[in-house]
Amino acid sequence: MTGGGESVDSLLPVVYQELRRLAASYLRGEKPGQTLQPTALVNEAYLRLLKDRPDRWQNRAHFCAIAAHSMRQILIERARARHALKRGGVRARVTLDDALVAGGERSIDLVALDEALERLEQLDPEQARLVELRFFGGLTIEETATAMNISPATVKRHWTVARAWLARELGAP
Amino acid sequence: MTPERWKQVIALFHAALERVPGARDPFLLEATADDTELRREVESLLRAHTSTDGFLETPAWGVAPELMFEDHEVTLTGRTLGPYKVLEEIGRGGMGIVYAAEDTRLGRQVALKALPPDYTRDPVRRERLRREARAAASLMHPSIATVFALEELEDGLYIVSELVRGRTLRAELHDGPLAPGPLRTTLLEIADALTAAHAQGIVHRDLKPENVIRCTDGRVKILDFGLARPVEDTFRSTTTRLTQAGTAAGTPGYMAPEQLAGGTVDPRSDVFAFGVLATELATGEHPFGSDSAAMIGRMAQMLESEAVVRSGPWSAPDVQQIARRCLRAAPDDRFASGTELAAALRSMTGSGAAASADPSLWWWRFHQVAITLSLAALPAIAWALRPWIGPPNGSRLFFAALVLATVSITARLNLVFTSRVHPRNLRSQRALVFPWVTAVDGGLALLMIGAAFALDGRDGVAGLVITLSTVILLSLAFIEPATTRAAGLAP
Repeated sequence: MTGGGESVDSLLPVVYQELRRLAASYLRGEKPGQTLQPTALVNEAYLRLLKDRPDRWQNRAHFCAIAAHSMRQILIERARARHALKRGGVRARVTLDDALVAGGERSIDLVALDEALERLEQLDPEQARLVELRFFGGLTIEETATAMNISPATVKRHWTVARAWLARELGAP
Repeated sequence: MTPERWKQVIALFHAALERVPGARDPFLLEATADDTELRREVESLLRAHTSTDGFLETPAWGVAPELMFEDHEVTLTGRTLGPYKVLEEIGRGGMGIVYAAEDTRLGRQVALKALPPDYTRDPVRRERLRREARAAASLMHPSIATVFALEELEDGLYIVSELVRGRTLRAELHDGPLAPGPLRTTLLEIADALTAAHAQGIVHRDLKPENVIRCTDGRVKILDFGLARPVEDTFRSTTTRLTQAGTAAGTPGYMAPEQLAGGTVDPRSDVFAFGVLATELATGEHPFGSDSAAMIGRMAQMLESEAVVRSGPWSAPDVQQIARRCLRAAPDDRFASGTELAAALRSMTGSGAAASADPSLWWWRFHQVAITLSLAALPAIAWALRPWIGPPNGSRLFFAALVLATVSITARLNLVFTSRVHPRNLRSQRALVFPWVTAVDGGLALLMIGAAFALDGRDGVAGLVITLSTVILLSLAFIEPATTRAAGLAP
């Protein structure tokens, strides 16, 4: 992670906090429709950062990248810890699985995804970054394009192939 | 696979995708020629591609929302605890996570705060919390979120209170300082809430923008009255790791020096926190700076001296005086409670006849008038001394005294006038005029003392002159600075 500093440390928690609210609504099985979308949060936090320390942040992409990367670290760290817990024989909370089913999302092995993403990074750093922004940063195609300074069409092309590659690596059905 | 090879794969993958499914195999066969490995790679990607519908489309926190929470946090949402159906998380602070819940017995929505285990494990703390909850529950005020109960449900301890929806003042501060009008109204509402609480002997202990919510009707409500406990490890750096951000403790920036030092906490500690809050709302800046290291440094400075408060431009200079008085290091120097604070705010929010109810300003004014009368006496005395000193020095003394006294009296009476009619300008006017007034008064007093020594054989009169002049000098040196500081006019 580059150029942490106090500003990002004071703002990322705001984003994180709001994402938790979103996550809570996912857990309740709702589609977080009216609530603020994650990208709006990231943008708002970024604008606030800019106001604070215009010199500190090269650009929006920088902040989005840090936010996405932080989210990845946090989630993977926790996923690993819980995997370890399961293997250790401690029963995972039933409520978690129930909530997941209620959420209606296909569950993804995040730890395996993280490892696959690391392999993709060796192969194609740009695609790995794109996946990080999209999946861990919650950015749309257009936002990803802006953040990476490439055209939306290019993002789509990268996204299609990276997704296929990751799906194959994860042995998705 | 090498990156170069990967580029080849990608190109073929996209080229194949552009063709109708039936045409893909022949195309690949031709394009890869005898490189079967390459063909197999592209083919497997194409196969995987057909099953990627929706794959990775939902962001990570949607796919695995439970990972956004610690183990002990996630379970509450959607659960039913006793009569309470937990609906959603609405916030979190040093004291725990707050949920919106439905009280099924009464069919109303409430706020349910789950206290972290550290707060409740110790039976002594638990008992104290129970006592405090009982006291807090007796607080009824439009600007205080009412505490309904302290509940023990399934091993956990929960504070049940009025559900307040709105934006915290912290969120409002992100848009900059408040305009003078809303600022005064907001501060007055908070001060009135403090008044009500302090009257019942209840201290908030952790008043800060995060704990004040503006409801949809524009009024504010203070949360956690009497129950807030700034977390012990408040000195933890603000650069908490992101993973801990959800549980970050309250900042020490709102705690009075005596509170930070672990001393007794009383209404005056709330008055201090109010000063910090007022400064932030009025200027958009924290009076001790935003990062904790600088802040602690300033707090330490503050214990030694008076003038430390750093803040940006004030949207309402009259509030500044009140905030300054709240931020005194010694509790005795602050407003004694919400009552005094509210009174001071009211007199300022009122018309131009501001601050007249402020007792400290009254003393300052009294001093100005008293010293003016003493000064007025000096030319009169000089007139009487004239025949004894004899020409031309007697006349010179009289005229000098008359001019100096007139200058000083005019300046001082003008300040008193300003304090009545334009209280906002008082501070700056006083700062402008005071050095000159000091020089004039000092010069006049010394002149008169000198003249007294020239009065041979008239010890009674000389004694009177010397006494009066000395009083003026001493009051310049000690009384004036004291009354000025007390009135919050010192720079």
